[in-house]
Amino acid sequence: MILVDIWEGTDPRPEVERFCEMWGIQGTILLDPDAAYAQALGIRGVPTNVLVDSDGTVVDVGLVRIEELEAAVARLVG
Amino acid sequence: MNDLPVGAACRIDSGGASVSLAEIPVGLDPEGVAVDSRRRRAYVACSRADYVAVVDLETNEVVAQVVVGSEPIDLAFDPATDRILTADAHSDTVSVVDAETLELVATVDVGMYPSGLTADHESRRIYCGNSLGSTMTVLDLDTLETIATVEAEVGAGAIAFDRTRNLVVCVNFIAASATFVDTKTWEPVGRVEVGSGACAVGVVPERGEAFVVNSLAGTVSRVSLDDFTVREELAVGSAPVGLTVAPAHDRVYVSNRGAGTLSVLGVADGDQWAQLPVGEGPGGVVVDPTDGRVYVANAGTGTLSILVDRLSGPPATAAVEERHPLIGAKLPEFSLLDFRTGERRSSREWAERKYIVNFFASW
Repeated sequence: MILVDIWEGTDPRPEVERFCEMWGIQGTILLDPDAAYAQALGIRGVPTNVLVDSDGTVVDVGLVRIEELEAAVARLVG
Repeated sequence: MNDLPVGAACRIDSGGASVSLAEIPVGLDPEGVAVDSRRRRAYVACSRADYVAVVDLETNEVVAQVVVGSEPIDLAFDPATDRILTADAHSDTVSVVDAETLELVATVDVGMYPSGLTADHESRRIYCGNSLGSTMTVLDLDTLETIATVEAEVGAGAIAFDRTRNLVVCVNFIAASATFVDTKTWEPVGRVEVGSGACAVGVVPERGEAFVVNSLAGTVSRVSLDDFTVREELAVGSAPVGLTVAPAHDRVYVSNRGAGTLSVLGVADGDQWAQLPVGEGPGGVVVDPTDGRVYVANAGTGTLSILVDRLSGPPATAAVEERHPLIGAKLPEFSLLDFRTGERRSSREWAERKYIVNFFASW
Protein backbone atom coordinates (compact mmCIF):
# COMPACT_ATOMS: atom_id res chain seq x y z
CA MET A 1 0.00 0.00 0.00
CA ILE A 2 1.17 3.50 -0.82
CA LEU A 3 -0.17 6.33 1.31
CA VAL A 4 -0.45 9.73 -0.31
CA ASP A 5 -0.93 12.74 1.95
CA ILE A 6 -2.94 15.62 0.48
CA TRP A 7 -4.56 18.93 1.45
CA GLU A 8 -2.37 19.83 4.42
CA GLY A 9 -2.18 23.43 3.27
CA THR A 10 0.89 24.23 5.33
CA ASP A 11 4.19 22.30 5.49
CA PRO A 12 2.94 18.72 5.48
CA ARG A 13 5.94 17.13 7.19
CA PRO A 14 5.20 17.94 10.84
CA GLU A 15 1.52 17.19 10.33
CA VAL A 16 2.25 13.83 8.72
CA GLU A 17 4.81 12.99 11.38
CA ARG A 18 2.33 13.73 14.15
CA PHE A 19 -0.39 11.76 12.39
CA CYS A 20 1.82 8.70 11.82
CA GLU A 21 3.01 8.74 15.41
CA MET A 22 -0.52 9.03 16.74
CA TRP A 23 -1.88 6.14 14.67
CA GLY A 24 1.28 4.00 14.41
CA ILE A 25 1.42 4.27 10.63
CA GLN A 26 4.41 2.77 8.86
CA GLY A 27 5.29 2.10 5.24
CA THR A 28 5.58 4.32 2.19
CA ILE A 29 4.10 7.80 2.48
CA LEU A 30 4.22 10.18 -0.47
CA LEU A 31 3.41 13.88 -0.36
CA ASP A 32 0.99 15.55 -2.76
CA PRO A 33 0.72 18.87 -0.90
CA ASP A 34 -1.40 20.77 -3.41
CA ALA A 35 -3.41 17.63 -4.23
CA ALA A 36 -2.58 18.03 -7.93
CA TYR A 37 -2.24 14.29 -8.44
CA ALA A 38 -5.39 13.56 -6.45
CA GLN A 39 -7.33 16.07 -8.51
CA ALA A 40 -6.05 14.51 -11.71
CA LEU A 41 -7.57 11.26 -10.52
CA GLY A 42 -10.89 12.85 -9.59
CA ILE A 43 -10.43 12.24 -5.87
CA ARG A 44 -12.96 14.38 -3.98
CA GLY A 45 -12.38 13.37 -0.41
CA VAL A 46 -10.36 11.50 2.16
CA PRO A 47 -9.81 8.76 2.89
CA THR A 48 -10.06 7.24 -0.57
CA ASN A 49 -8.48 4.00 -1.72
CA VAL A 50 -7.51 3.30 -5.33
CA LEU A 51 -6.89 -0.36 -6.18
CA VAL A 52 -4.50 -1.00 -9.04
CA ASP A 53 -4.02 -4.27 -10.91
CA SER A 54 -0.64 -5.53 -12.06
CA ASP A 55 -1.15 -4.11 -15.56
CA GLY A 56 -1.75 -0.65 -14.10
CA THR A 57 -5.53 -0.72 -14.50
CA VAL A 58 -7.62 0.84 -11.73
CA VAL A 59 -10.10 -1.77 -10.55
CA ASP A 60 -11.79 0.10 -7.71
CA VAL A 61 -12.01 3.55 -6.10
CA GLY A 62 -13.34 4.50 -2.67
CA LEU A 63 -13.59 1.55 -0.32
CA VAL A 64 -13.28 3.25 3.02
CA ARG A 65 -15.09 0.71 5.14
CA ILE A 66 -12.85 -2.17 6.16
CA GLU A 67 -15.20 -4.91 4.93
CA GLU A 68 -15.46 -3.23 1.53
CA LEU A 69 -11.71 -2.92 1.28
CA GLU A 70 -11.09 -6.51 2.36
CA ALA A 71 -13.54 -7.83 -0.21
CA ALA A 72 -12.02 -5.72 -2.97
CA VAL A 73 -8.49 -6.79 -2.06
CA ALA A 74 -9.60 -10.43 -2.09
CA ARG A 75 -10.97 -9.93 -5.60
CA LEU A 76 -7.79 -8.15 -6.70
CA VAL A 77 -5.48 -10.81 -5.35
CA GLY A 78 -7.74 -13.47 -6.80
CA MET B 1 -31.16 -2.23 7.83
CA ASN B 2 -30.51 -0.67 4.45
CA ASP B 3 -28.04 -2.00 1.96
CA LEU B 4 -24.89 -0.05 2.54
CA PRO B 5 -23.36 2.10 -0.18
CA VAL B 6 -20.42 1.17 -2.33
CA GLY B 7 -18.56 4.25 -1.14
CA ALA B 8 -16.57 6.98 -2.82
CA ALA B 9 -16.33 4.96 -6.00
CA CYS B 10 -19.84 6.07 -6.72
CA ARG B 11 -21.25 9.52 -7.07
CA ILE B 12 -25.00 9.59 -6.85
CA ASP B 13 -26.66 11.55 -9.58
CA SER B 14 -28.76 14.04 -7.70
CA GLY B 15 -30.78 14.84 -10.83
CA GLY B 16 -31.01 18.55 -10.20
CA ALA B 17 -31.81 18.06 -6.53
CA SER B 18 -29.77 21.09 -5.54
CA VAL B 19 -28.54 24.43 -6.79
CA SER B 20 -25.05 25.57 -5.91
CA LEU B 21 -25.07 29.28 -5.11
CA ALA B 22 -21.41 29.80 -4.27
CA GLU B 23 -18.16 28.20 -3.22
CA ILE B 24 -16.15 30.78 -1.31
CA PRO B 25 -12.46 30.43 -0.36
CA VAL B 26 -12.23 30.93 3.42
CA GLY B 27 -8.93 29.51 4.70
CA LEU B 28 -7.09 26.39 5.74
CA ASP B 29 -9.11 23.41 6.90
CA PRO B 30 -12.48 25.01 7.59
CA GLU B 31 -14.59 22.90 9.93
CA GLY B 32 -17.30 24.52 12.08
CA VAL B 33 -19.73 26.97 10.49
CA ALA B 34 -22.60 29.16 11.74
CA VAL B 35 -24.88 31.72 10.15
CA ASP B 36 -25.68 35.21 11.45
CA SER B 37 -28.99 35.76 9.66
CA ARG B 38 -29.46 39.36 10.81
CA ARG B 39 -26.12 40.54 9.48
CA ARG B 40 -26.17 38.23 6.46
CA ARG B 41 -22.87 36.69 7.48
CA ALA B 42 -21.39 33.26 7.93
CA TYR B 43 -18.68 32.49 10.45
CA VAL B 44 -16.28 29.66 9.63
CA ALA B 45 -13.68 28.15 11.98
CA CYS B 46 -10.51 27.66 9.92
CA SER B 47 -8.76 25.13 12.11
CA ARG B 48 -5.33 25.20 10.46
CA ALA B 49 -5.29 28.99 10.19
CA ASP B 50 -6.33 29.66 13.80
CA TYR B 51 -8.94 32.22 12.82
CA VAL B 52 -12.64 32.65 12.20
CA ALA B 53 -13.40 33.72 8.65
CA VAL B 54 -16.24 36.23 8.48
CA VAL B 55 -18.11 35.84 5.19
CA ASP B 56 -20.39 38.56 3.83
CA LEU B 57 -23.29 36.64 2.31
CA GLU B 58 -24.30 39.53 0.07
CA THR B 59 -20.93 39.71 -1.69
CA ASN B 60 -19.77 36.14 -0.92
CA GLU B 61 -16.42 37.45 0.25
CA VAL B 62 -14.38 37.05 3.41
CA VAL B 63 -14.47 40.46 5.08
CA ALA B 64 -12.49 39.67 8.23
CA GLN B 65 -10.28 37.05 9.84
CA VAL B 66 -10.54 36.99 13.62
CA VAL B 67 -7.65 35.25 15.38
CA VAL B 68 -8.80 32.89 18.13
CA GLY B 69 -7.14 29.98 19.96
CA SER B 70 -5.09 27.24 18.37
CA GLU B 71 -6.93 24.88 16.03
CA PRO B 72 -10.52 26.10 16.27
CA ILE B 73 -12.57 23.12 15.14
CA ASP B 74 -16.16 23.79 16.05
CA LEU B 75 -18.01 27.08 16.24
CA ALA B 76 -21.32 28.50 17.46
CA PHE B 77 -23.03 31.87 17.19
CA ASP B 78 -25.29 33.24 19.92
CA PRO B 79 -27.57 36.05 18.65
CA ALA B 80 -28.69 37.03 22.16
CA THR B 81 -25.21 38.01 23.32
CA ASP B 82 -24.01 38.68 19.77
CA ARG B 83 -21.01 36.44 20.31
CA ILE B 84 -19.14 33.90 18.23
CA LEU B 85 -17.64 31.00 20.18
CA THR B 86 -14.99 28.53 19.02
CA ALA B 87 -13.69 25.27 20.48
CA ASP B 88 -9.91 25.58 20.23
CA ALA B 89 -8.60 22.02 20.25
CA HIS B 90 -4.91 22.72 20.78
CA SER B 91 -5.46 25.50 23.33
CA ASP B 92 -7.97 23.61 25.49
CA THR B 93 -10.12 26.74 25.42
CA VAL B 94 -13.29 28.27 24.11
CA SER B 95 -12.68 31.64 22.45
CA VAL B 96 -15.40 34.27 22.60
CA VAL B 97 -15.62 36.95 19.91
CA ASP B 98 -17.87 40.02 19.83
CA ALA B 99 -19.71 39.78 16.52
CA GLU B 100 -20.13 43.56 16.28
CA THR B 101 -16.52 44.59 16.88
CA LEU B 102 -15.02 41.26 15.75
CA GLU B 103 -12.65 41.37 18.71
CA LEU B 104 -11.72 38.50 20.98
CA VAL B 105 -13.37 39.37 24.29
CA ALA B 106 -12.81 36.27 26.42
CA THR B 107 -11.05 32.93 26.56
CA VAL B 108 -12.51 30.20 28.73
CA ASP B 109 -10.58 27.12 29.87
CA VAL B 110 -12.31 23.83 29.19
CA GLY B 111 -11.06 20.23 29.02
CA MET B 112 -8.36 18.65 26.87
CA TYR B 113 -8.78 18.91 23.10
CA PRO B 114 -12.23 20.46 22.81
CA SER B 115 -13.62 19.54 19.41
CA GLY B 116 -17.40 19.91 19.65
CA LEU B 117 -19.48 22.96 20.55
CA THR B 118 -23.27 23.25 20.70
CA ALA B 119 -25.33 26.15 22.02
CA ASP B 120 -28.76 25.76 23.60
CA HIS B 121 -29.98 29.32 23.10
CA GLU B 122 -33.20 28.89 25.05
CA SER B 123 -31.64 27.28 28.12
CA ARG B 124 -28.66 29.65 27.84
CA ARG B 125 -26.01 26.95 27.93
CA ILE B 126 -23.19 25.93 25.70
CA TYR B 127 -21.83 22.41 25.63
CA CYS B 128 -18.23 21.57 24.78
CA GLY B 129 -16.99 18.03 24.10
CA ASN B 130 -13.38 17.50 25.21
CA SER B 131 -11.95 14.64 23.18
CA LEU B 132 -8.80 13.89 25.15
CA GLY B 133 -10.34 14.85 28.47
CA SER B 134 -13.21 12.41 27.88
CA THR B 135 -15.54 15.02 29.36
CA MET B 136 -18.23 17.50 28.44
CA THR B 137 -17.99 21.04 29.79
CA VAL B 138 -21.24 22.93 30.37
CA LEU B 139 -20.92 26.72 30.26
CA ASP B 140 -23.42 29.45 31.02
CA LEU B 141 -23.93 31.16 27.67
CA ASP B 142 -24.31 34.59 29.29
CA THR B 143 -21.76 34.59 32.11
CA LEU B 144 -19.37 32.03 30.52
CA GLU B 145 -19.02 30.39 33.94
CA THR B 146 -18.61 26.63 34.12
CA ILE B 147 -21.82 25.01 35.29
CA ALA B 148 -20.61 21.41 35.21
CA THR B 149 -17.95 19.07 33.91
CA VAL B 150 -19.50 15.76 33.02
CA GLU B 151 -17.71 12.44 32.46
CA ALA B 152 -18.17 11.16 28.95
CA GLU B 153 -15.80 8.78 27.11
CA VAL B 154 -12.61 9.05 25.12
CA GLY B 155 -13.07 11.05 21.98
CA ALA B 156 -15.97 13.11 23.35
CA GLY B 157 -16.83 15.71 20.75
CA ALA B 158 -20.11 16.50 19.04
CA ILE B 159 -23.14 17.25 21.20
CA ALA B 160 -26.89 17.63 20.70
CA PHE B 161 -29.71 18.17 23.17
CA ASP B 162 -33.37 17.35 23.65
CA ARG B 163 -34.95 19.93 25.91
CA THR B 164 -38.21 17.98 26.14
CA ARG B 165 -36.42 15.04 27.75
CA ASN B 166 -33.84 17.09 29.67
CA LEU B 167 -31.16 15.18 27.82
CA VAL B 168 -27.84 15.96 26.26
CA VAL B 169 -26.20 13.49 23.88
CA CYS B 170 -22.41 13.52 23.60
CA VAL B 171 -20.81 11.26 21.00
CA ASN B 172 -17.40 9.73 21.64
CA PHE B 173 -15.22 9.21 18.55
CA ILE B 174 -12.66 6.78 19.91
CA ALA B 175 -14.99 4.90 22.25
CA ALA B 176 -17.54 4.57 19.42
CA SER B 177 -20.34 5.41 21.79
CA ALA B 178 -22.82 8.05 22.84
CA THR B 179 -23.25 9.30 26.41
CA PHE B 180 -26.65 10.55 27.60
CA VAL B 181 -26.64 13.20 30.32
CA ASP B 182 -29.53 14.48 32.46
CA THR B 183 -29.56 18.29 32.32
CA LYS B 184 -31.12 18.56 35.78
CA THR B 185 -28.44 16.60 37.62
CA TRP B 186 -25.58 16.70 35.08
CA GLU B 187 -25.14 12.99 35.63
CA PRO B 188 -24.78 10.42 32.84
CA VAL B 189 -27.97 8.39 32.64
CA GLY B 190 -27.12 6.04 29.81
CA ARG B 191 -24.80 5.06 26.99
CA VAL B 192 -25.03 3.22 23.72
CA GLU B 193 -22.44 1.73 21.45
CA VAL B 194 -22.65 3.09 17.93
CA GLY B 195 -20.42 2.71 14.90
CA SER B 196 -16.70 3.41 14.92
CA GLY B 197 -15.59 7.00 14.57
CA ALA B 198 -18.75 8.61 16.00
CA CYS B 199 -18.26 12.31 15.31
CA ALA B 200 -21.53 14.16 14.74
CA VAL B 201 -25.05 14.06 16.15
CA GLY B 202 -28.45 15.66 15.69
CA VAL B 203 -31.74 15.21 17.51
CA VAL B 204 -35.36 15.06 16.37
CA PRO B 205 -37.20 15.36 19.71
CA GLU B 206 -40.73 14.70 18.44
CA ARG B 207 -39.59 11.29 17.20
CA GLY B 208 -37.46 10.64 20.28
CA GLU B 209 -34.46 9.99 18.07
CA ALA B 210 -30.87 11.01 17.67
CA PHE B 211 -28.88 10.52 14.48
CA VAL B 212 -25.23 9.71 15.08
CA VAL B 213 -22.66 9.89 12.30
CA ASN B 214 -20.07 7.10 12.35
CA SER B 215 -17.23 8.24 10.16
CA LEU B 216 -15.15 5.06 10.13
CA ALA B 217 -18.11 2.72 9.89
CA GLY B 218 -19.55 4.89 7.12
CA THR B 219 -23.06 4.89 8.55
CA VAL B 220 -25.57 6.93 10.53
CA SER B 221 -27.07 5.29 13.62
CA ARG B 222 -30.70 6.04 14.42
CA VAL B 223 -30.78 5.99 18.23
CA SER B 224 -33.75 5.98 20.59
CA LEU B 225 -33.71 8.76 23.17
CA ASP B 226 -36.13 6.78 25.32
CA ASP B 227 -34.29 3.50 25.79
CA PHE B 228 -30.85 4.44 24.44
CA THR B 229 -30.72 1.70 21.80
CA VAL B 230 -29.74 1.74 18.14
CA ARG B 231 -32.86 1.27 16.07
CA GLU B 232 -31.27 1.21 12.64
CA GLU B 233 -28.06 1.82 10.70
CA LEU B 234 -28.55 4.10 7.73
CA ALA B 235 -26.51 4.29 4.54
CA VAL B 236 -24.84 7.51 3.49
CA GLY B 237 -21.75 8.40 1.44
CA SER B 238 -18.14 7.58 2.14
CA ALA B 239 -16.52 8.76 5.39
CA PRO B 240 -19.40 10.85 6.79
CA VAL B 241 -18.28 13.44 9.35
CA GLY B 242 -20.88 16.21 9.72
CA LEU B 243 -24.62 16.36 10.34
CA THR B 244 -27.37 18.88 10.84
CA VAL B 245 -31.12 18.46 11.15
CA ALA B 246 -33.17 20.46 8.65
CA PRO B 247 -35.50 23.05 10.21
CA ALA B 248 -38.60 21.07 9.15
CA HIS B 249 -37.14 17.96 10.83
CA ASP B 250 -38.06 15.88 7.78
CA ARG B 251 -34.44 15.28 6.73
CA VAL B 252 -30.90 15.47 7.97
CA TYR B 253 -27.89 16.58 5.98
CA VAL B 254 -24.73 14.51 6.29
CA SER B 255 -21.42 15.66 4.86
CA ASN B 256 -19.34 12.86 3.37
CA ARG B 257 -15.64 13.68 3.69
CA GLY B 258 -14.60 10.75 1.53
CA ALA B 259 -17.12 11.24 -1.24
CA GLY B 260 -17.07 15.03 -1.41
CA THR B 261 -20.84 15.13 -1.19
CA LEU B 262 -23.75 15.99 1.09
CA SER B 263 -26.26 13.23 1.73
CA VAL B 264 -29.91 14.13 2.18
CA LEU B 265 -31.29 11.51 4.53
CA GLY B 266 -35.02 11.16 5.14
CA VAL B 267 -35.86 11.22 8.85
CA ALA B 268 -38.98 9.07 8.55
CA ASP B 269 -37.90 6.57 5.89
CA GLY B 270 -34.17 6.54 6.64
CA ASP B 271 -33.46 6.52 2.92
CA GLN B 272 -30.76 8.52 1.26
CA TRP B 273 -32.76 10.81 -1.01
CA ALA B 274 -29.74 12.21 -2.82
CA GLN B 275 -26.08 13.03 -2.59
CA LEU B 276 -25.52 16.66 -3.46
CA PRO B 277 -22.18 17.87 -4.84
CA VAL B 278 -20.21 20.23 -2.57
CA GLY B 279 -16.51 21.05 -2.25
CA GLU B 280 -13.78 18.53 -1.55
CA GLY B 281 -13.41 16.99 1.90
CA PRO B 282 -16.60 18.48 3.36
CA GLY B 283 -17.18 18.63 7.13
CA GLY B 284 -19.21 21.18 9.07
CA VAL B 285 -22.76 21.74 7.84
CA VAL B 286 -25.58 24.05 8.96
CA VAL B 287 -28.88 25.33 7.59
CA ASP B 288 -30.00 28.94 7.82
CA PRO B 289 -33.55 28.53 9.18
CA THR B 290 -34.62 31.85 7.69
CA ASP B 291 -34.14 30.82 4.06
CA GLY B 292 -33.25 27.12 4.14
CA ARG B 293 -29.89 27.59 2.50
CA VAL B 294 -27.32 24.95 3.36
CA TYR B 295 -23.75 25.89 4.28
CA VAL B 296 -20.94 23.34 4.10
CA ALA B 297 -17.31 23.87 5.14
CA ASN B 298 -14.96 21.97 2.84
CA ALA B 299 -11.68 21.11 4.53
CA GLY B 300 -10.05 19.88 1.32
CA THR B 301 -10.66 22.88 -0.87
CA GLY B 302 -10.66 25.39 2.01
CA THR B 303 -14.02 26.73 0.92
CA LEU B 304 -17.59 27.32 2.06
CA SER B 305 -20.28 25.88 -0.19
CA ILE B 306 -23.70 27.50 -0.21
CA LEU B 307 -26.50 25.54 -1.80
CA VAL B 308 -30.24 25.19 -2.03
CA ASP B 309 -31.82 21.78 -1.52
CA ARG B 310 -34.62 21.55 -4.10
CA LEU B 311 -36.07 18.27 -2.90
CA SER B 312 -39.59 18.65 -1.59
CA GLY B 313 -39.55 15.11 -0.28
CA PRO B 314 -38.32 11.65 -1.18
CA PRO B 315 -37.48 11.48 -4.91
CA ALA B 316 -39.87 9.59 -7.18
CA THR B 317 -37.04 7.55 -8.61
CA ALA B 318 -34.13 6.05 -6.78
CA ALA B 319 -30.83 7.86 -7.04
CA VAL B 320 -28.52 6.39 -9.65
CA GLU B 321 -25.03 5.46 -8.61
CA GLU B 322 -22.34 6.38 -11.09
CA ARG B 323 -19.13 4.46 -11.45
CA HIS B 324 -15.98 6.45 -10.75
CA PRO B 325 -14.50 7.39 -14.16
CA LEU B 326 -11.08 6.13 -13.14
CA ILE B 327 -12.26 2.53 -12.85
CA GLY B 328 -11.11 0.56 -15.89
CA ALA B 329 -8.57 3.19 -16.90
CA LYS B 330 -4.81 3.07 -16.47
CA LEU B 331 -3.60 4.80 -13.33
CA PRO B 332 -1.93 8.06 -14.40
CA GLU B 333 1.77 8.06 -13.62
CA PHE B 334 2.95 9.91 -10.51
CA SER B 335 6.21 11.34 -9.29
CA LEU B 336 5.95 12.43 -5.66
CA LEU B 337 8.29 13.08 -2.75
CA ASP B 338 8.75 10.35 -0.17
CA PHE B 339 7.94 11.69 3.30
CA ARG B 340 10.57 9.52 4.99
CA THR B 341 13.50 9.74 2.56
CA GLY B 342 12.81 13.00 0.76
CA GLU B 343 13.47 11.21 -2.52
CA ARG B 344 11.19 11.41 -5.52
CA ARG B 345 9.24 8.20 -6.09
CA SER B 346 7.64 7.22 -9.37
CA SER B 347 4.73 4.90 -10.14
CA ARG B 348 7.16 2.93 -12.30
CA GLU B 349 8.54 1.40 -9.08
CA TRP B 350 5.25 -0.38 -8.63
CA ALA B 351 4.93 -1.56 -12.23
CA GLU B 352 3.61 -5.10 -12.66
CA ARG B 353 2.48 -5.18 -9.03
CA LYS B 354 -0.96 -5.12 -7.49
CA TYR B 355 -1.25 -2.31 -4.98
CA ILE B 356 -3.45 0.21 -3.21
CA VAL B 357 -3.01 3.97 -3.22
CA ASN B 358 -4.57 5.44 -0.07
CA PHE B 359 -5.19 9.17 -0.18
CA PHE B 360 -5.38 10.70 3.30
CA ALA B 361 -5.05 13.94 5.23
CA SER B 362 -3.84 14.32 8.79
CA TRP B 363 -6.93 16.30 9.79
